[in-house]
Amino acid sequence: MLEVLINPNGFFEARMRETESLKIPVLIVLISGLISGIAAYLITGLTLEMLSETLPPEALGLATTIGGISAFIGALVFSLIIWVIFAAIFFGISSVFKGEGSFKRTLEFVGYGYIPMILSGIISAVLMYNFISTAQIPLLTDPTEVAEVITQWVTTNPMVRLSSVIGMLFMLWSANIWIFGLKHARNLSTRNALITVAIPVALYILYSVWQLGVLGL
Amino acid sequence: MKLLPLFVLLVLIVGLAGAQVEEAQKSSIMITGYRVSPDVLMQNDIGTITVTIKNMEVLNSVKIKEANLLESEIKVLSKPYVNIGRLGPGESINLSFTIKAGYTDGIFYPKLTLEAENAERIRYQIPVKVDSTSLTLGVKDIPEEILKDERAEIELVVGNPRPNTVTGVKIATVEENVIPSEVFVGSLAADDSKDASFNFTPQSTGDHILNFKLEFKNGDNLHSTVLNIPVSVTESKKSAELILTGIEVESTSGMGVYKITGDINNAGLEEARSVVMKVDAAEGVEAMNPYKAYFVGLLSPDDFSSFELDVKVGENVTTAPLLIEYKDADGNLFSMTEYIAIEHSPVTSSSELPVSMIAVLVVVAILIVGVIAYSWKKR
Repeated sequence: MLEVLINPNGFFEARMRETESLKIPVLIVLISGLISGIAAYLITGLTLEMLSETLPPEALGLATTIGGISAFIGALVFSLIIWVIFAAIFFGISSVFKGEGSFKRTLEFVGYGYIPMILSGIISAVLMYNFISTAQIPLLTDPTEVAEVITQWVTTNPMVRLSSVIGMLFMLWSANIWIFGLKHARNLSTRNALITVAIPVALYILYSVWQLGVLGL
Repeated sequence: MKLLPLFVLLVLIVGLAGAQVEEAQKSSIMITGYRVSPDVLMQNDIGTITVTIKNMEVLNSVKIKEANLLESEIKVLSKPYVNIGRLGPGESINLSFTIKAGYTDGIFYPKLTLEAENAERIRYQIPVKVDSTSLTLGVKDIPEEILKDERAEIELVVGNPRPNTVTGVKIATVEENVIPSEVFVGSLAADDSKDASFNFTPQSTGDHILNFKLEFKNGDNLHSTVLNIPVSVTESKKSAELILTGIEVESTSGMGVYKITGDINNAGLEEARSVVMKVDAAEGVEAMNPYKAYFVGLLSPDDFSSFELDVKVGENVTTAPLLIEYKDADGNLFSMTEYIAIEHSPVTSSSELPVSMIAVLVVVAILIVGVIAYSWKKR
């Protein structure tokens, strides 16, 4: 498995000789989703704590449990959906370069590219936990202020920003894996595979940078 | 010869009787009394003189033709009486004249002229006294120190040095912080005095002048005099004195919400009751939950209590006003405002990341770049 991280070209070249299988990629994406789910659970708990003034105490406990579990499952499902969407985008763009190969193979190889995101998720979750355990939570009466508070945190809190920057670095690592994955899955030249991956990943990173408000970072 | 003494006696008796009749005819009407109201006039006062005229005849009535009052210094406002009519034997009549005092004190003698039938004339002088001495208003008792927000009792005394009784005596004030606004004393006899008490609760320190107006009536004439009392109001030396110490301002969310904590101390010599601290209204300042206000309660002298308040301030706001309200033992409400400096947490930049975090970031970045470079080299 380490091969895919340090020598993705060799790894996917070898995988091409084997039959298509989504077992391991699904597992990888699920592990990534699981870690995202933990972060989502923590954020939901934080949000409900902010609104504790507006909820009765007995409802707060129930809301925290249900909300946390819902967020956890949501993040898990969302990871799977995003995986399919990314694969579909790559599949579509590579078609422009007359790419050949099945969608299943593309999906399989894109799934392997989620491995750096597991590491990223673990680091982000640790940073997030560290932030939540030290942050003083404001008690809000207006639910619309929650988004404002979170936006402020994302744009000003060093822990949250560091987590986002690390996420972007690991995304670059995943993109590197996807380049070689698509090169073999869709039988593209390295240049075309680079363009295929670079377009959506660049858009994603630009969006993340804009969200951070760090055009002046 | 024996008849001579009898004749002389008869002549004497007849002579004496004739003399008596002639005397009775000359004084058939008399001024039996008069009354001046008010007893003593003040300058420019309007009053009345009432004279009583009586027919002293036993059998005959007398026709009174005219009655007139004359005086140069005292002005007679009413017209002379003419064709008054007949006054039966032993009957009497009252005639009133309206007079107005001049601008000179003294005793004046208006002359009453009465003309009856048979060319009978009577002149009579009536003494009228004019005295401009007014009532006096003075301070009987006043506290040596008048303290802000504390009630001070001011006792005034009104005296009557006049020779007559005055009525409708009252002392009034238009001062906002003085109660009652008016004290009615009523009538005040000559050389008598009465007290009136007022409560003064000043709301500010410094020099004040309290104005009191004394009003009274001399007859129907309204008179007044004013008393100005200069007072100096100072801060109470014993009252509760609340001061804030150990103030800490901590950002709680990075979105302008701060928690203000500290101690409130009573450095005065009296208790501060029902002490409540709250964030005062100001532009760009908003009190937040859970501690929009903090109830401290009773704060004894030399005692202190901790407090905490939550406040949200705008970006351009550098101070947050804290309103402290408390009451004294009499229930008087006091308030003071303290301004707490807010130092805004500057927007965090990458340079403010902890060094260890920057190191982690650099290591991760180098690791990823290294791995990517290695993967491209192995291609």
